[in-house]
Amino acid sequence: MNLHCKWILYTLTAFDADDVFGIIKESVEGTMGGNIFQQNRVDQWTSNVVELCLSQLSKLGKPFKYIVTCIIMQRNGAGLQTASSCFWDDTTDGSCTFKWENESMHCIVTVFGLAI
Amino acid sequence: MEDRVSFNTDEASVTVKECIEGIIGGIDYNQNKVNQWTASIVEHSLTQLVKQGKPFKFIVNCAIMQKSGAGLHTANSCYWDTATDGSCTVRWENRTMYCVVSVFAVAVTC
Repeated sequence: MNLHCKWILYTLTAFDADDVFGIIKESVEGTMGGNIFQQNRVDQWTSNVVELCLSQLSKLGKPFKYIVTCIIMQRNGAGLQTASSCFWDDTTDGSCTFKWENESMHCIVTVFGLAI
Repeated sequence: MEDRVSFNTDEASVTVKECIEGIIGGIDYNQNKVNQWTASIVEHSLTQLVKQGKPFKFIVNCAIMQKSGAGLHTANSCYWDTATDGSCTVRWENRTMYCVVSVFAVAVTC
């Protein structure tokens, strides 16, 4: 296979973080924009965000399995630290994280894409 | 005929719980050390999971939050093969902090 064909195959089959970032941003802003932290609604928000992201991701039609995680934390000065470590194929798999906040809460969404 | 191995969530939970207790068991929340702890927990858990030698790709996620009355909610959703892939979440706490570790395992088909 020559280099040009390899490049095309790479762009079709490798995880595209830019596309995914846009999807996450729309899902989060659409669900959380303009809201204040409310304990009885946060359950619904996290579910909405992950479901919206996942349905948009599957519509991309790429040969990937996806994992979407969402954390919503009330802002009251508490410290929060997250980390992730992955054992996968560096050439095709990837992840994308989006952080969002307003005056009352933080929202962190991460998408992991693993090539089939 | 190929043997399709499915993810054993109980075994993974035990592995992860041992890693957490080994790293932050009996320690109070410390802002200067917390990034070191999350990094150690994910790396150590991943190493132990990979040592089991099963045909999976793994993602290990760890969140540590100081106990100060704030609400924290997490959710995840996965688009995969439910027959072979799986996840497990371990929730751990002590007097000063919460730790939530999630492991996602995706079967490798080659």
